[in-house]
Amino acid sequence: MAAEPKVLEATDVVKVFEEGAQKVEVLRGVSLDVAPGEVVALEGPSGSGKTTLLSILGCILTPTAGRVRVAGETVDSSSAARLREVRRRSIGFVFQQYNLFPALTALENVEYALNVKGLRGLEAEKEATRALELVGLEDRLRFLPRDLSGGQKQRVAIARALAGRPQVLLADEPTANLDTAAGTQVLDLFRGLAKREDKGLVVVTHDPKVRAIADRVVGIRDGRLAA
Amino acid sequence: MVSLARKNLLHDRLRFAITVSGVAFAVTLVLVQVGLFMGLLAKATTTIEHADADIWVTSRETPNVDFAHTFPETTVLRVRGLAGVERADNLIVQFMNIQLPSGAEEGCLVYALEDFHAWNLPWNVQGADVADLRRGRYILMDRSAERRFGPFAVGEHREILRRRFKIIGTTEGAASFTTAPIVFMDFANAQELLETLQNRTHYVLVKVAPGAVPEAVAAAIRRIAPYNDVHTQADWARRSRAYWVVSTGLGMNMGITVFLGVLVGIVVVAQTLYTSAVEHMKEFGTVKAIGGSNWDIYRILGEQALIAAVLGYGLGGLISLAMRPLMARLFLNVLVSPQFALAVFVGTLLMCLGAAMLSFRRVASIDPALVFRT
Repeated sequence: MAAEPKVLEATDVVKVFEEGAQKVEVLRGVSLDVAPGEVVALEGPSGSGKTTLLSILGCILTPTAGRVRVAGETVDSSSAARLREVRRRSIGFVFQQYNLFPALTALENVEYALNVKGLRGLEAEKEATRALELVGLEDRLRFLPRDLSGGQKQRVAIARALAGRPQVLLADEPTANLDTAAGTQVLDLFRGLAKREDKGLVVVTHDPKVRAIADRVVGIRDGRLAA
Repeated sequence: MVSLARKNLLHDRLRFAITVSGVAFAVTLVLVQVGLFMGLLAKATTTIEHADADIWVTSRETPNVDFAHTFPETTVLRVRGLAGVERADNLIVQFMNIQLPSGAEEGCLVYALEDFHAWNLPWNVQGADVADLRRGRYILMDRSAERRFGPFAVGEHREILRRRFKIIGTTEGAASFTTAPIVFMDFANAQELLETLQNRTHYVLVKVAPGAVPEAVAAAIRRIAPYNDVHTQADWARRSRAYWVVSTGLGMNMGITVFLGVLVGIVVVAQTLYTSAVEHMKEFGTVKAIGGSNWDIYRILGEQALIAAVLGYGLGGLISLAMRPLMARLFLNVLVSPQFALAVFVGTLLMCLGAAMLSFRRVASIDPALVFRT
C-alpha cells in the first residue's frame, strides 16, 4: 500500500546561527512530516527552536543541513527567488501579531496578498471575498484593522493565509494575543478549514487549547524533537 | 490592484501633508525664482525682440543693448548700399537725466529713431501716433515710469537735459534691465540734447530683404564695417542676456537658489519616505514573508514618491500662479515658459524618485523572519 503523500516534509534539518565568532546550533537534526488535512501542534519552551523550525518549513530561513520538501517539491535553498516562489505558491502564514496592513481594509488585506501572489483585479477581489466568507467575516469586508476585535483580526489573517489556496498553513502562536473565547473560536475555525480545504497545518504554540484541535502534538526541546 | 503605497500615504495624513508641502516648497521656490529671473531677463531684450530688425550693427564689444558706445552715423549709408538690405536706420539708446515736477532728477533711457513705425518701436502706444514725435519736442513715456517718476499724464511737460518736452502719449511694456524707464523721441531731438551725439549713433538697425539670409547679410556688413560688431537679432538678444547672467552674478545666484530648492525637496521627501519605510518595516517584512520581492517594496516606495511629486508639483504650481499677480503689483514679472514648467515637473519626479531610492538599501536588508519577532 502506497504511503500517503506528505504536504510538508523536513528531514534531518540542522540550523546553526553564527553570532560573531560564536556558533549557535538551534536545530539539531529535526525530522517532521505533515499530511494534507493534518493538524500538528509544535510545543516547546522559549528558545527550543520552534520559531526557527517554522521559519525553515516556511522557506523564510534556509537550513544549514537537511532537506525540506513542500507540496512534493524539494526546496532549493540556494536561491532566494526559488524560496520566495514556494512561499508565494504553497504556503500561508498566520502570525502572532496578525501583521495586517493597518491602512487596508479586511478585504484589501487579503486582496493585496493575492496581488503579491500574482492574482489581480476582479478575480483577486472574488477570491478575497470567498476567503473572508470562509472565516465568517462577510459583514466586515470594508473594516480597517483598528475597527476589528483581536479575534476578527486573526480571522482576517487566516483568510489571508488561505487566499491563493496554499497547501500548507503555518501559524506562529495564533492565539497568544487573544482571550480564551476568541482563541477557542479561532482554533476551531482553523482546524475546520484545514480539514475542509485539505491543508497541512502546523501550529507553534504555548497554548494548551491547541492540543484539543491537533491531530498530533510534537514537542521540541533544545533543537530536537522530543520522543 | 490594491495600492498599498497610496493607502499607506493617506493613512498618515499629517506626514503626507508634510511630504507634499516639502515638494511644493521646492517647486514654488524654483518656479518663482527662475520665473522672476526670466522676467528680469526678458526686460534685457524686450526692445530687441519687439524691434522689426533682423540685424543690429553696434560699436565694438558692446556688451548689451543698454550700454552702447557711439560710432559715425554715416555707417548707415554704407549698409543701405548692400545687396540683401531692405532698409537700415540709425538708433540712439542713451541714458539721460529727466527733471521731475518735484525738482529731483532721475535717469531715463532714451530711444531715438527717425521712423519709429518702420521698426515697430515702440509697441503698445496709447494716445498718440509715433509719427507725431517728429513734429516737435515730443516724447512718449512708458507707463512703468510712474513707479520711479511718480504719476504723469499725457499733455504734461518734462525737462530732459534742460530741454522741455511734451508727453504726447504713453507706451506699455518697454523696459530695460537697468530699470531706467524708457522714453521715445525723434532722432534729431536726441542728437540736439548731447554734443557727444552729434553725427553719431549707437546702432544701425537693418531689415533684411525678402529671400535674403540674415547671417549672409551680416557677414557682408562686417566686411564693409570692420570696426563694428554685427549681430543677428537672436544673437544680439542672447548676448545681452548673457551679460546680465554672467557679469552680474545673477546667474550664479539663481543657480544656487535652484540648487537649494532641489536640496530642500530631496531632504524632505527622503526624510519622510525613509522614516515611513522604517516605521513600516514589519509590513514590508510581511510582504516578503508572503512571497513579495524587494522590487514589490521598491514599487511601493516609488509609487509614494510619484504621488508626492505630482501633488507637490500641483500645489507648488498653484502657489506660483497665485504669486504672479502679487509680484505684478511690485512690477516684477514671473515668467515661466511651458517648456520650463515641464522641465520642473520632470525634475520634481526625478527628485522624489531619487529621494525614495535612498530607502531602497534599508528595505533590501529587511529580513522576512522579522515577522516572527514580537
